[in-house]
Amino acid sequence: MARTPFRVEVLTPEGLLFDDEVEMLSTRTAVGSIGVLANHAPLLALLEPTELRLYTAGSEVKAFAQGEGYLQVADSRALVLVDEVFEKDELDSSELQSRLDRASERVERAEDDSEEKRQAERERRRYEAFLKLAGRGR
Amino acid sequence: MADKGVQGRISSVKNIEKITRAMEMVAAARLRRAEQRISHLRPYAGAIRRMTRQASEAAGNLPSVPVLAERESVRTAAILLVTGDRGLAGAFNSQIIRAGLRAGGELEAEGKTVVYYASGRRGVSSLTFRKKDLKGEYTGFTDRPAYADARTIASDLTQAFVDGEVDRVDVFYNGYVSALTQEVTRETLLPLQEASIFEGDDDENHGEGDGDQPAGASDSGHSALVEYEPDPEEILQRLVPEYVQISIYRALLESTASEHGARMTAMRNASENAGDLIKDLTLQFNRERQAAITQEIMEVVAGAESLV
Repeated sequence: MARTPFRVEVLTPEGLLFDDEVEMLSTRTAVGSIGVLANHAPLLALLEPTELRLYTAGSEVKAFAQGEGYLQVADSRALVLVDEVFEKDELDSSELQSRLDRASERVERAEDDSEEKRQAERERRRYEAFLKLAGRGR
Repeated sequence: MADKGVQGRISSVKNIEKITRAMEMVAAARLRRAEQRISHLRPYAGAIRRMTRQASEAAGNLPSVPVLAERESVRTAAILLVTGDRGLAGAFNSQIIRAGLRAGGELEAEGKTVVYYASGRRGVSSLTFRKKDLKGEYTGFTDRPAYADARTIASDLTQAFVDGEVDRVDVFYNGYVSALTQEVTRETLLPLQEASIFEGDDDENHGEGDGDQPAGASDSGHSALVEYEPDPEEILQRLVPEYVQISIYRALLESTASEHGARMTAMRNASENAGDLIKDLTLQFNRERQAAITQEIMEVVAGAESLV
């Protein structure tokens, strides 16, 4: 059954990645997995590294690997802000592994309870999540 | 010959003109790239700021999370100066340094301690020269700042704020208006309560391409109806450092574009001046040559006359 489409924008610091009508958006917030349909109540949420799926009209699914970010829903429009995002097909396991190693190294080196440490830990989590997505095949 | 000197000067000014023309063209090409990066970032930066504002209004009285705390009194203020690594860009660097030092002086007059952070070699060297308390220096990237550079600066500043080393963070940079106009811009980043995002006017909307943001999303009017996942406090804990990062990144990018714009203008003026100088010198050279010829003819005529 066709659902009402609504507008979704995906923004990164490097620019606009996606701006189109979709039927459903699915991702994961700090609380848990979430699916957003048209006319969703206004929402502001923290996003965790996960797979971002956009179900565009014609039951096509666009899948991205997304880093931490924010989701804002208002007036039946959704705005996804993420600092890093890859098309799922573009994920490169070896590249991700080396980034993960670098992040782990930084976690080791950073002082406890410093901003540096928190950042490195976030990065480690992000690349762990991306690796899992890349491993799950396409 | 007497005109050797003038001839030498003409050729050296011609060389200078070639260099300034080349620098002008390089700056113009880089300016286009820098402009593009700003226009890509502006929608994201604007959305982060709007979300920060929305969440902090919903959180009401900001909770006692270190990064959100407002200090009872400001004892130490941090000033971040965003300059360039290189000179030859007109007033680009000096106007930032001047504005930063003036603000620092005012704060010191109120009995506060001021510490400086500088990005760009020009700012670093001039603050070192003035023996200012320079807590952080960041150089080597002002031609093409990366997000990671902004993150380094932001995490130092945020850390200093959380640790209570500074109670307030201001940033000074050349805001990019157009290739010809750069505006010294001052933004307060922390504490959040004083931050420039609360000054109402949403300056993010003048950029191109973000005219069709979710319009109602930015207004705080219906904030009571908004769901938060998790609660606004926790969102802010992550959003605030992000907002500091993105604001600094934006300042770096704007400053880079401004630097190229300023250099382009400065170099164009220099090329024009060189052209004028060449014209004057050529005139002088011709005049001297003509005088020498006249002199020689007169000598020949005088010599011939004496033989008759």
